[in-house]
Amino acid sequence: MNTHQPSEHNIATVRDLVVEFDKSGTPFQALKGIDLDIGIGEIVALVGESGSGKTVLGSCLLGLVPGDAKTSVTGSVNVEGIDMVHGTERDRRWVRRHVLGAVFQDPLTSLDPMMRVGAQVGERGASDDRILTAFEECGIPEPKVRIRYWPHQLSGGLRQRVSIAGAITAANRPADKGTERVNRPEGGIPALIIADEPTTALDVRVQDQIVKLFGRLRDEHGCSVLLITHDLGVAAQIADRIVVMSHGEVCESGPTAQIISSPQHPYTQGLIASRLDVSDPFPHREPVQEPPNTLMTMTNIVKDFRTPHVRGGVKRVLHDVDLQLDAGEALVLVGESGSGKSTLLRIAAGLETPTAGFVDIARSAGKPQLIFQDARSSLTPWIRVSKQLGERLALAGVPREERPARVAELLRQVGLDERMAQSRPRELSGGQCQRAAIARAMASGPGVLLCDEPVSALDATLASQVVDLLDDLRRTTGVALLFVTHDLAVAKRIATRVAVLNDGRIVEQGDVQQIFNTPTHHYTRQLLEASPSLAKVKKVAS
Amino acid sequence: MTLLRQIAVRLASLAGVLVLLTFAVYFIQRQLPTDPARVLAGRTATPEALEAARERLGIGKPFLTEYFHFLGRLLHGDLGTSISTRTPVREDISTYLPATFELVMVATILALLGGLIIGILGARDGWAVGLVRIVSVAGASAASFLVAILFLLVFYRNLGWFPAGGRGGTAADSGATGLRLVDTLVHFDFSGFWDAAMHLMLPSIVLAIAPAVAIGRVLRGSLRDAMASDYVRSANAKGGSWFEVMRRHGLRNALSPALSMAGLQIGVMLGGSVIVEMIFSWPGVGNYLATAIAASDLAAITGVVLVLGVAYVTINFVVDTLQVIIDPRQREAA
Repeated sequence: MNTHQPSEHNIATVRDLVVEFDKSGTPFQALKGIDLDIGIGEIVALVGESGSGKTVLGSCLLGLVPGDAKTSVTGSVNVEGIDMVHGTERDRRWVRRHVLGAVFQDPLTSLDPMMRVGAQVGERGASDDRILTAFEECGIPEPKVRIRYWPHQLSGGLRQRVSIAGAITAANRPADKGTERVNRPEGGIPALIIADEPTTALDVRVQDQIVKLFGRLRDEHGCSVLLITHDLGVAAQIADRIVVMSHGEVCESGPTAQIISSPQHPYTQGLIASRLDVSDPFPHREPVQEPPNTLMTMTNIVKDFRTPHVRGGVKRVLHDVDLQLDAGEALVLVGESGSGKSTLLRIAAGLETPTAGFVDIARSAGKPQLIFQDARSSLTPWIRVSKQLGERLALAGVPREERPARVAELLRQVGLDERMAQSRPRELSGGQCQRAAIARAMASGPGVLLCDEPVSALDATLASQVVDLLDDLRRTTGVALLFVTHDLAVAKRIATRVAVLNDGRIVEQGDVQQIFNTPTHHYTRQLLEASPSLAKVKKVAS
Repeated sequence: MTLLRQIAVRLASLAGVLVLLTFAVYFIQRQLPTDPARVLAGRTATPEALEAARERLGIGKPFLTEYFHFLGRLLHGDLGTSISTRTPVREDISTYLPATFELVMVATILALLGGLIIGILGARDGWAVGLVRIVSVAGASAASFLVAILFLLVFYRNLGWFPAGGRGGTAADSGATGLRLVDTLVHFDFSGFWDAAMHLMLPSIVLAIAPAVAIGRVLRGSLRDAMASDYVRSANAKGGSWFEVMRRHGLRNALSPALSMAGLQIGVMLGGSVIVEMIFSWPGVGNYLATAIAASDLAAITGVVLVLGVAYVTINFVVDTLQVIIDPRQREAA
């Protein structure tokens, strides 16, 4: 970064980029003088937590500066000789059409629901053959059939592959344009792919494949990749160079191994230290009480859903699942999307009726409470936190005069400042929202907390804090956790027992140490294998 | 397969709504203080004549019996006889309906076009937004009878661009469809076509203004939302211009609420045609209805209300079906 490379080796050059938003009168600098070079054929990972400005930087490279007319942008963002912030609209569009490919985080919303996926991939004028090739390259099975699908007919992982297929089918360049580069990728392949959290919403195995796909695109076509991610583990898997951003500034940048094994900046050190990693040692676990007090038993749970397109067709998402939850334990259900783990949780919560089998909940456990992934949307945005907690307390039969004290206690339990009680959810950060949601779930004093991916939308530091909070609640109040996650690192941190769910069946179940140390099922081993970890990079570096 | 099933389900509910409609119409008609037998027999009729009229109209029995009697006649296409024209209401309506149909059709096309323009211009930040806002407020708050009179003053009396009323041509011109635009074109009668178009212009514009604004506002809102969505960002990142992206991605996604609004507005236009037809002496069912109301001509009123009601329900059925057709996700649901 500090050594300025000659521009013929760089596909993109950012110099002293300052982006200032006008947030209702108060200026807010999202980027405070960024310098960044992306070499030809280089994979650069831009790592930072939410609010670090990494997405704004990615948007600037695309020439799509977010914000409104009051947003001020100074400095330069140069992609193949064209200034992407101050150039003409026409030039910038040309670069987007011919040089760049963009992949965004949420595959569920990034595709137009009203357009067939093949047409979306071919939007920049790719031929049918080219679209098919792109589908194949991105590992979409049966491309000939799939190009006729609508987005909603594909799973999240496949939709993200479709997005990537769309990103790698750029328009063919006319021969006279962009000639300053000699070794640019052949026609229809973008020279630079900007991927903003492309794997965050995906399962680890799919993430692993997609990260490798970026590597392959670089190797085969010479594309450069800017991988924007909050997860150092993902960055470490593939990047040549890591650029760490915080609060609109670059803290540190260097070769991947160096950043991971000997971070210089305190912020980077903090990121690495707070990151939950599958190679972390097991946390200390107190011995389980004997005899176990079983709170919930699920027996032979079967769940069928109707399938679209087929009259009378059903898809079995849960096959004969047996599960038992004891007081004070944390049972983590590990599985990928579509494995049925959320359905199982919803059945446990009574939100869904099983097709067969039954759920038996001990009287002492009360009504199980749910904690969702997206805390912000699970809280009513305009009602004060204290009132939302109060409502739950009222439902639980707590007398009116005792409620304020209970609210204060609940907030303290989840580590929220008492002043937060008077805030509305929209004024809280994501981590605070999740804490408030946990407080609300704890209000009725449940024996069982059902947690559906409660930390997967949070930054690494917040995620580990929330995980620790739940662990703490379990140990102090004895509440049992049934915790659904796709992230094995989270599972390792919080679980006393782990059940691995694949295609609606529990393929392996047991003590957390046993599952992680001696997994017997090959699916469990695959999951462990695919989980991004810094350990491998550290090992190589040392 | 599922699409057909959805349409079948909607058709069934359509039939239900129509039955309810006939019931409501008959119920209201019987609640009126006007005695249809008295109207039919005349002010000076003898009690015997009055009784005969009652017998003929099938009234004076328990309400449900009367209603089924009415329904039975309806199923045979018998809407009764108008007391002011002395012809069967069915014949009257088939004479006047094509004119109204033509007027509302043209107004619908204008309203859709206007709504599309207002919606698209309003969705993009820039100079047009202010203009669209002014047009929207003005158009939404202008009463159609005022606009009609204003238009007559300006375009007929002062400028003399358009005729003041009627459909133009002579009654003998009326061809197979009763739609003058179509009939004249079929016979290559271009001057007749021009004449018909000129006569249609003012009333259809007056009729279309408020619906155009209403449709435009809804479209503008949903188009703005669509243009701020993630898939539009993806499309922008592929280098499409605002207009390309709007046309390819924004519009189709934004269409559904605007379509619902259009369905409602066509209904509003059917009702609004009464006033517009009166002002522009348009020989349609609206005018017929106005005359019928003045004459307490219950059979005619009932007939027109039923026909307009059927049209309204049918239009909304078509809109619902269209919505299912354009959205691939809805096509599979249900």
